[in-house]
Amino acid sequence: MPDNIYAVLKDTIQSNDLEQSMHAIGEKRIHFTYCRSIVDQKLIDNEVLHRIQTSNAELDDVHALIRVIPLENTKASSDVDEIVQRLIRGFLFVQLEPDLHEGLLIDVADLKRGYRSNNEADNEYSVIGPKAGFVEDLDTNLNLLRKELVSEHLRFEEYIKGSLSQTRVVIVYVDGICNPDYVDTVRQRIADADFDVVFDSSLIDQVITDNANSPFPLYISTERVDRAKYCLLSGQVAVLSGGSPYVISGPSTVFDFFASPEDYYLPWVLASFFRCIRFMGVAFSILASPFYVAVLTFHYSVIPQELLGPIIESRANVPFPPLIEVLLLEITVDMLREAGARLPTKVGQTLGIVGGVVLGTAAVQAGLTSSILIIVVSLSALSSFVTPIFKMANTIRFLRFPFIALAAAWGGLGITMGFLLLIGHLLRLKSLGAPYLLPMFPFRIRDYADSFIRSPFSMTNYRQRYLRPLKLERYKVSKQKDRSDDYNHE
Amino acid sequence: MLNMVKENYRVSGFFVFFLIHASVIGAGALSFQHFMLDLSGYDTWIVVLLTGLSLHVILWMIFKMLGNPAKDVIDLHGFLFGKSVGRIVSLALVGYFLLLALTVFRGYIEIIQIWMFPHFPTWLLAFLLVCILYYAVSGGFRVIVGYCFFGLLFSSLLPFFLYFNLKYGHVNNLMPIFYHPVRELLASSKYSGIFFMGFESILLYFPFIKAPENNARWAHIGLLFVTLKYAALMFITFMYFSEGLLQHTFWPTFVMLKVIQLSFIERIEFIFICMWLVIIIPVLCLSIWSCTRIIKRTTNLKPTWSLLAILLAVFLAALPFDDRIKIHGLGVRMVEIGFYFVYAYIPLLFVLYVIRSKFSRTALKTVQPDA
Repeated sequence: MPDNIYAVLKDTIQSNDLEQSMHAIGEKRIHFTYCRSIVDQKLIDNEVLHRIQTSNAELDDVHALIRVIPLENTKASSDVDEIVQRLIRGFLFVQLEPDLHEGLLIDVADLKRGYRSNNEADNEYSVIGPKAGFVEDLDTNLNLLRKELVSEHLRFEEYIKGSLSQTRVVIVYVDGICNPDYVDTVRQRIADADFDVVFDSSLIDQVITDNANSPFPLYISTERVDRAKYCLLSGQVAVLSGGSPYVISGPSTVFDFFASPEDYYLPWVLASFFRCIRFMGVAFSILASPFYVAVLTFHYSVIPQELLGPIIESRANVPFPPLIEVLLLEITVDMLREAGARLPTKVGQTLGIVGGVVLGTAAVQAGLTSSILIIVVSLSALSSFVTPIFKMANTIRFLRFPFIALAAAWGGLGITMGFLLLIGHLLRLKSLGAPYLLPMFPFRIRDYADSFIRSPFSMTNYRQRYLRPLKLERYKVSKQKDRSDDYNHE
Repeated sequence: MLNMVKENYRVSGFFVFFLIHASVIGAGALSFQHFMLDLSGYDTWIVVLLTGLSLHVILWMIFKMLGNPAKDVIDLHGFLFGKSVGRIVSLALVGYFLLLALTVFRGYIEIIQIWMFPHFPTWLLAFLLVCILYYAVSGGFRVIVGYCFFGLLFSSLLPFFLYFNLKYGHVNNLMPIFYHPVRELLASSKYSGIFFMGFESILLYFPFIKAPENNARWAHIGLLFVTLKYAALMFITFMYFSEGLLQHTFWPTFVMLKVIQLSFIERIEFIFICMWLVIIIPVLCLSIWSCTRIIKRTTNLKPTWSLLAILLAVFLAALPFDDRIKIHGLGVRMVEIGFYFVYAYIPLLFVLYVIRSKFSRTALKTVQPDA
């Protein structure tokens, strides 16, 4: 044990933000050591230095100091390693002369600086409903959850991950609802995972995933607080990580990615209709251009005569086979999307108009593509973004390319083959060990209440059975008097 | 000790409905009308109904002899014939399922070549299908059941299309009912094998069903559903075709679809031929899975390798069948073998099983390697 830790620290942390200062109070000399970049200077000035200066008590040793300082996280220590580890996490190390082999560690970390304080959930916007989203600060996120799920069963399990980042990773679940098997699986997988820096919770998503080679997202990832709450109360396990505004949650099924929180804020008839539109949009988005390629390359006899005319007319000047034509446009659209995501908002809008309108019209007029294909491609690009979860939208944008290739090679047969491979892939996928295609396969008829359609709340009072929740009932449905039945009562 | 198929590999009881449905509907639905016409003429739809009903008896036998405790036909062979003889008999079944898969496989390739791509080389198409089959079967039994489910979804679209044929059909074609003597009807039922080919794989996947004895009704419902579907299809076919025309039509179902005309789409049969792949994949998968299952249970060869070997065999065997006559011959042979397998071999097994279980008081105890 070194006699003079004060000097040792200077040599150990050779960084310029290490601040060491000495204060003389009466006859006492007090040494402060801290990392300037991570501490809250005001806290040191007001709550530590000021208290010591104005204290009437006799400050003989560090234990006497504890009584003076009104901060909770304090600890006396003489272990250099421990002190160093605390210093770089925002602790203040206070020593009183002449005991320079010992000192008091006080937590004065400023961990909120630089983070956004609020988030409008811009990437998962909904017109109706709360717009609060998660932010980068983990404590704020936990606060958002704890504040609105008032239950003693809401559990946070904290782990430190990342050898360099020392990120706090929190498993959240509702005890007594969530199946403990899923919690165990998540716990196990997070314990097994090794990181240097946890940049975002989607990194954890990819490491604890059941199949890292799948283009499909296996966990819901959301920045909306209401959606995260809904996942938790239906019996899923959520994982939050420090510095990430996204919550990942599982086990999720492929249908979860097409449900929007807004569905529950609209009347069920509308919500079901919109949900069906979404599924149609996805099918259209994946299959429209492959169908175009297949039909124009091999099966033109499938098109009725009246429709064949306009198609031939629009394609008469196009010098390319349908495959090249489609790839040209699809890749252009994808480039526009990629550029649009990177560009600042205002430039992006302009570029969208230039790319979408000018390029499209010019391409048709130059005879590079047919105008019908422009319609097909732009519609399928549009419909790929109807999915409420962005990760799924990306998957759907990707999926069409293998289908286009298969369609160009073997027409409708190729599309069917692609479909079979896709089905086979989806059937194999599992999220935390639960099949991904639930409730479609394995077929669970009672869970259809909230899948393709969003049934009225009187029918969704049970949790999804495929999540195997410990408590099935969410709320009680009271038998209501029929409010609309005037005819029988008049 | 008997049933070693682990709980998490098993499927819920009512999936037997999908399994039976998908494994039956795949093979013959396109051309069975043509196959069965020769002997019983327009009364064939009655034959279909009768065959379907007789299959319920066979299914009952299967559930009786494989149930309590659940076992597959390999255990049963071992129980009836002793370990080594039983093993040889089981291995002979590999040939049966291989032939079954080959018939369906080559039949579909022929349809593609005749209806859609006349110049599509057989080897390439066979290779593509084999790749898909490898991906499907290597997913395991649960994935195959998933394919069965999607096969059901797609094959359920067919009846909607047949509405158009109903519109143009004549009920008079079917009159008079029972024009053919019973003897001819029975002779025709021999060829009705074409429509139930494939359902025998229940002999292998039986222990994969959760509590199979309690779920026999799902199997029967599945069978009944298919039978009714086939009878209806037969009925509509005869309403639509004249007997003479039907004799010269190899794929009446597709020809019937040709008549459909919508404002945005024509030649529906093209779409249906493509979709037909989704419908036959379950039969192919189940047959090939049955082959690998038998090989795994009897020889301890790793399923990955036996699957590759079986698929290679199917691929190579599909190549020599290069014209209509050979393929038709393969189909007829297969139908005959299938007929004897179902109506002679399974009842024989059943009788042997009843006798054997009467004599041996001790419960059947064999050890399965784990699944």
